[in-house]
Amino acid sequence: MKKGGLGIVVFLALAAGLSMAFIYAPPDAIQGNVQRIMYLHVPSILVAYLAFSVVFVSSFAYLLRRTSRWDALAYSSAEIGVVFTWGVWWTWDARLTTTALLFVIYAGYLMLRAFIEEPERAARYSAVLGIIGFLDIPLIHMSVVWWRTLHQPSSLIRPEGPAIATPMLFVLLLNVAAYALLYLYLLKERIRLYELEGLVLRPRE
Amino acid sequence: MMDNWGYVLAAYLLAFAVLFGYWLSLKRRIRRWQVQLKTKEARR
Repeated sequence: MKKGGLGIVVFLALAAGLSMAFIYAPPDAIQGNVQRIMYLHVPSILVAYLAFSVVFVSSFAYLLRRTSRWDALAYSSAEIGVVFTWGVWWTWDARLTTTALLFVIYAGYLMLRAFIEEPERAARYSAVLGIIGFLDIPLIHMSVVWWRTLHQPSSLIRPEGPAIATPMLFVLLLNVAAYALLYLYLLKERIRLYELEGLVLRPRE
Repeated sequence: MMDNWGYVLAAYLLAFAVLFGYWLSLKRRIRRWQVQLKTKEARR
């Protein structure tokens, strides 16, 4: 793909997803137009799940192989995952609390990276935290099943299949794809930054 | 039926401001390290 090509595709996909969410998708029968935040909220948390899953796998790979390629992937994905973690005003709801915990764990991951000066040690410690932190994701997903929460039960990822109307599902999946592309684009750029830092900071041969 | 458009628009504006801000910060950091790399190579 030509330089900047992915950025243009991402922009067009986001523009299409946004306009479909406001023009094509019907309002919800009970919540009305407020429900339209679903087309932002669900894709962003799914991308956060994806980003932290990448951190989990690449952290394992780093601990096994000890190559900076895996560390670059884990570190870059963690930073983007934190940006995508959805927030709301505070109540002691199980899903909000476990999601806030996820945000704090990975914000801690980024702080750990910033505080440890020796790159190999920073990569090793953060790989361990990246693996442990991932255990919160199944807890977040199941929180609406295991506890009584303000959040509705899952209407997309459930054994019986999605529980929403087809036009809404179509717009939702379009937005999920657009946000996933945005994640890939940001990941590519963040890895480029990691490599540049390495080139500057690496001692001269 | 609740039709609070202000809430919906505020949520979208906030989210896109965060994403745009992050993208700008990435671009700025990449540019800064590129300049440092050029300086390092020029000193060699």
